[in-house]
Amino acid sequence: MKWRAGYVAPAVLLVAALLYAPFLWTGYLSFTRYDGLAPAQFAGLGNFAELVQDPALLTSIRNTLIWVAGTMILPVGLGLLVAVLSYDLKRGAWYRLPFMLPYALSGAGLGMVWSPILSHGGIANLLLGVDTAFLQEAPHNTLAMLLVWTWQQLGVNTLLFVVGLQSIPKEPIEAARLDGAGGWSLFRHVIWPLMAPLTAVVVGLALVASLKTFDIVWVMTQGGPGRSSETLAVTMYRDTFVASEYGYGSAVAVLLTVVTGLASYLYLKRQVT
Amino acid sequence: MIRRAVLIVLGLVWLGPTYLLLVNAMRPAGSYDPSKAWIPSGEFRLLQNFATALERADLGASLAGTLLYSLASPALAVVIGAMAGYTIVVLRLRGGFWWFMFIFGGTIFPSQMLLVPLFVTYSDLGLYDRRLGMILVYTAISVPLAAFVLRNFFTGIAYSIFEAARMDGASTARIFWRIYLPLAGTALAAVFILEFTFIWNDLLFGLALTQTAEVRPVMTVLAGLMTDVYAGTPVPVGLAAGLVVSLPTVLLFLATQRLFARGLSLGSV
Repeated sequence: MKWRAGYVAPAVLLVAALLYAPFLWTGYLSFTRYDGLAPAQFAGLGNFAELVQDPALLTSIRNTLIWVAGTMILPVGLGLLVAVLSYDLKRGAWYRLPFMLPYALSGAGLGMVWSPILSHGGIANLLLGVDTAFLQEAPHNTLAMLLVWTWQQLGVNTLLFVVGLQSIPKEPIEAARLDGAGGWSLFRHVIWPLMAPLTAVVVGLALVASLKTFDIVWVMTQGGPGRSSETLAVTMYRDTFVASEYGYGSAVAVLLTVVTGLASYLYLKRQVT
Repeated sequence: MIRRAVLIVLGLVWLGPTYLLLVNAMRPAGSYDPSKAWIPSGEFRLLQNFATALERADLGASLAGTLLYSLASPALAVVIGAMAGYTIVVLRLRGGFWWFMFIFGGTIFPSQMLLVPLFVTYSDLGLYDRRLGMILVYTAISVPLAAFVLRNFFTGIAYSIFEAARMDGASTARIFWRIYLPLAGTALAAVFILEFTFIWNDLLFGLALTQTAEVRPVMTVLAGLMTDVYAGTPVPVGLAAGLVVSLPTVLLFLATQRLFARGLSLGSV
């Protein structure tokens, strides 16, 4: 028994060395000017003072908010709809299969599939008979990517909702049916309250994931054209590894962490009370 | 009836891009034309297209590396996580709860907070653009979830099993490998599948910590091929690469949907 601390050591060491230490280090770097070569120069709040005046950052925050709001409405909302429509149908899994297929595609695979569709003169242009360059103009490049995101993420949200819906007790639903409730009122007054704990989990997951949106944007537009479709995570990557401003990039990472942490905290607090 | 109709219409919309992916990934590489994208070519060139992609982006070496990462790291992580859970729950490590909180706390850091120090340290230690470095990062990221799930799982196992085994003279290590680890099979599998998918699909760490095709994870290489779609990679070649490379996770996901969903909601608590 005397070696029992030894069993926990690999986990603690790995997490400490590769997660905690870099985390704290990035926190420190956010207060410095650093190009990765010369030693970091302490700069106080300089990076943050620059951040609030950086027009690229404002665009990035606006886009991130669009991603968060859009994710709640589309993949989560539509996912709930598909789940509620199909969870107690005979062969419901077959009706859900079309939504499940895209989920396992990665961000990179997603880019492969959608670029020829959304490109200028591509399939969507021909199908809709319009000449819009969906990925090349500012407001709708983010919206177009949000639709692609919906195509991919709907399935997993549906799946989570279905697992939850199938595990809620049958008795209250039967009782309400006998009392004459059906359709919308059955959903609104019986099913919805019963599935609240699960909805909280799904919305929480989607909230955190959407705040950190990176892969799909990087693959489809790399944040461009210009910097018009950057999210906070993309801005961080570009400032750090493209512009080699490690200190400034770290400040963006800190901002992203604070926003994500604050959003999760407020969300959890609201769920608990 | 209306329910079925809505589901079918929405389902057909969703199948559209999937259909385009399949049809155009099989088309001969040179014959892609957006206005005829909906019409199957009647030929099956998927494998030739994929072979072209393999050659063009050195995808083969990258696939081998990615397979190594997505098997080795989750395997290491579930064992390391299980060891931690076992020590905390079964061996009743003093201050175990706090050790657990420390390990599980690792899930809250956004990857963006890790990249710069990892990049700088890896460059100094010669781990940059090395497979060992990638395995280390992926393992570390996978450990907190594994520890969380396995700790919960071991809490549900009767302590008398441990006591009985001790009576019979088994060492704590033997009890772990022979009794507790096999008992946790399903939990281990759920975590493994989730981590496998995460690592297989990772783009960001690959971008920041690797350079050569041999070490680069496949999604990062694929993303590079992507930005060349207009710069010369024929659409069918790109689609074939995307399709073949996604097959392992698509099949794994479809085969284990429920386990997967359980793992996901476990990880979020």
